[in-house]
Amino acid sequence: MKPWDPLDRAALVLGLISIASAVFVFASGGLEIVRVQVAGVVVALVLGLLSIAAGWLESPGLALAGGALFLLAAVVQLILLAGGSGGFLGGNTSTFSLWLGLGVGLIAIGMVPRPELAQEIPQE
Amino acid sequence: MASTDYVAGTDNPTDVDYTASTNDDATDTDDTAPQDPFLPSRIDRAVIAVVRVGVGLLWLQNLGWKIPPNFGQGDPPERLYLFTTYAVSHEVLHPYTWLVEHVVLPNFTIFAWIVLLVEASLGAFLTFGLATRFWALVGIAQTVVIMLTVLNAPNEWIWSYLLMLLVHAALFATAAGRYAGLDGVLRPEWQRSRSWLPRLLVRAS
Repeated sequence: MKPWDPLDRAALVLGLISIASAVFVFASGGLEIVRVQVAGVVVALVLGLLSIAAGWLESPGLALAGGALFLLAAVVQLILLAGGSGGFLGGNTSTFSLWLGLGVGLIAIGMVPRPELAQEIPQE
Repeated sequence: MASTDYVAGTDNPTDVDYTASTNDDATDTDDTAPQDPFLPSRIDRAVIAVVRVGVGLLWLQNLGWKIPPNFGQGDPPERLYLFTTYAVSHEVLHPYTWLVEHVVLPNFTIFAWIVLLVEASLGAFLTFGLATRFWALVGIAQTVVIMLTVLNAPNEWIWSYLLMLLVHAALFATAAGRYAGLDGVLRPEWQRSRSWLPRLLVRAS
């Protein structure tokens, strides 16, 4: 079995959490921890898969990209809410909080220097 | 404390390896776990991780009814605005009531956005265990604000706020983000850095 670097494993887990959050499209009432509608499911699945790819491919760049896109989705969601509705993303303030955590988490992972990757660059 | 010359967090008393002296009576000790003074038992770490995630989800879920742009201002008042008025109509502490009546309510939208951003951050960072000790302290502060606002309001179970205070204190004391949280993964990397931000995050985690 592949010995995962803890950072890559963390990116992978964050991606799985994002994908798992899509299940709230079926939730209502007290079980609706975050509000997810169709566009939110797309965000959760696409960015979740990107995060999983970041972990699987051991790519800090992909983790940074995934984190930035989650933050962008969070900010767009907040702007839509400030306009008076969930807008085309259909989320609520809890959705904003979830994507904020995923975004900052992935960026924190992606920003860690990877000396072992630097050593793989062939010396001329 | 020699805080200017550490590299691997050796100036931080929480980095001292106490596990050797505390493992004797812990039958389920994980020998591969990072050196940690708090929780040598795998079960203890799992429980604290569950508590942290649960508290994070509590903040995250309760953000759902704090709805911009008016946050419940209107006739009749509802949601966050209604609860904020309880600080005046059901006074807990006179100076706080004065502050809410003369500063917060006249500028309610600004304060409501601050509440939204603070509680969104609490939900985000406690759920994923990032800078957990710092956010546990913020959680304590926010709980005190909520207590001073609604403790005497109708249908409130006042002990729930004591529970909130204590659980955040526990998250702080156990550095809960180091167990199945991002702090546990990122802290060793932060400890190796000499830059100001990672050093700050070592303190916050």
